[in-house]
Amino acid sequence: MSISNLKLSVMAGAVTLLAGQILPLPSLAAEGSSVVAEGKAIALSRKKGNCLACHLIEGGEFPGNLGPPLIAMKARYPDKQKLRAQIWDPTAANPESAMVPFGRNKVLTEAEMDKLVEYIWTL
Amino acid sequence: MQVNRLYSVLLVTALLGGGVGTTLAADAKAADPKVVEVQKMIDGAEKARKKAASVDSEWRDTGKFIKQAQAALKAGDYDKAMKLARKAEDEGNLGYQQGVSQQELHLPSYLKY
Amino acid sequence: MKKLLNRVAVLAIAGTVSMGAQATTPEEDRNAFNKLYKWRFSGVPMEEFVNGAYAIDPIGRENWEAIEEFPPYEPFIDEGEVMWETPFANGKGYKDCFPDGPAIAGNYPHWDKEQGMVMTLPLALNQCREANGEKPLKYKKGSITNIVAYTAFQSRGQVTNVVIPDDDPRALAAYENGRKFYFTRRGQLNFSCSTCHLQNTGMKVRTEILSPTLGQTTHWPTYRSKWGTVGTLHRRFTGCNKNIRAKPFKAQGEQYRNLEYFLTYMSNGLELNGPGARK
Repeated sequence: MSISNLKLSVMAGAVTLLAGQILPLPSLAAEGSSVVAEGKAIALSRKKGNCLACHLIEGGEFPGNLGPPLIAMKARYPDKQKLRAQIWDPTAANPESAMVPFGRNKVLTEAEMDKLVEYIWTL
Repeated sequence: MQVNRLYSVLLVTALLGGGVGTTLAADAKAADPKVVEVQKMIDGAEKARKKAASVDSEWRDTGKFIKQAQAALKAGDYDKAMKLARKAEDEGNLGYQQGVSQQELHLPSYLKY
Repeated sequence: MKKLLNRVAVLAIAGTVSMGAQATTPEEDRNAFNKLYKWRFSGVPMEEFVNGAYAIDPIGRENWEAIEEFPPYEPFIDEGEVMWETPFANGKGYKDCFPDGPAIAGNYPHWDKEQGMVMTLPLALNQCREANGEKPLKYKKGSITNIVAYTAFQSRGQVTNVVIPDDDPRALAAYENGRKFYFTRRGQLNFSCSTCHLQNTGMKVRTEILSPTLGQTTHWPTYRSKWGTVGTLHRRFTGCNKNIRAKPFKAQGEQYRNLEYFLTYMSNGLELNGPGARK
């Protein structure tokens, strides 16, 4: 994972937060939510994230149960970077993890990873 | 050296291009340094794929990407060919790393003896 | 060496002993597998594992039992019987290669000392053909499944009993290669056989239940609704490898034969119930 990507995603997150909570900046807010929407599309696509294969996501059809339900993600990962690292390569934290190393094995591009994390973090 | 490389590129292109009728066109294309560059990338990807296969760890689509890259090069779509070659080379390297990292068997902790 | 020492040190600290040398015997492996499945599916009798996911999924089982009332693999058995009874061009037939009759599935896979390899039933059938001047059959689908379906049906009720002879160290090596294959992560998705069928057996990927390894070898060939026809065990291996985005190996090549040797050993004691029907 490149540092610049990380910084970008963190910045984007901060901007989204600010835009959503304090500043009435419709253009920026729209951009933030479109990133989340793109992330959602990546998460749900069978050829990309295919998260539902293993995880329950509220509103998602036919979820598997190999992995834990994707809920309360902000509470579980207060640090968004840690969430990104976990999706990038879950075997780093646990060599026996059954989860796909989406970033390390380039199932997703770094840009797709950024968008995906934005979405997952909203769950 | 230069002559040698040109000769091998010609040979490869001729082999891939096939028939006598395409030889002239192939000559013209082979002289294009861009073609030489892209072909080199594809050859690199093929080398990486073989390395992964040597440790029984080749991925499903690597060979397909190389074929598609070769076809794109032939069609003159260099950007597409390069993108596919890069992707295939990455996969070859990652597959090889994956195979090497598991040369030794480690029985998982969830299997209790 | 330093790495190895480090690992030993780490293991010593962690207090695990069995992980170190990996010097487990096939029987110890089998007992460990049995223990895991018994614990995971405590209400399921051992002999039920030959029915795969249907041993643990009551809803799937209902559909499956309905399918088994009119078995979709029946025509394949019938065609296989014709093959068995029909002589080759040279006047000889399968019967001459296999004088013990068509009920021979329980003898496979076994270690073939002369050829120095794991011998499987489809391979033995093809060697018979070739010895009699016939073309070998393709290994994943087509008429190979007929003849294997016929022998499987005739062999129903035999008990899986893979033996690893101790008079040839290559046999144990083949078993260990199969075991290594089973535990090795592969493909872009980075799964091993054990990730799905041991670690997460019984869990669901989307709506599909991951079947236990125990019993996976008892019912081949199998009519799969997804295939719309009968296919061999090695065809199934191919599909599994593709699913995890790994390049599949050759059907009846060394890797898959060794894997079959290991897998079938894990099912020792279970009845053969082929051909099977699966979703």
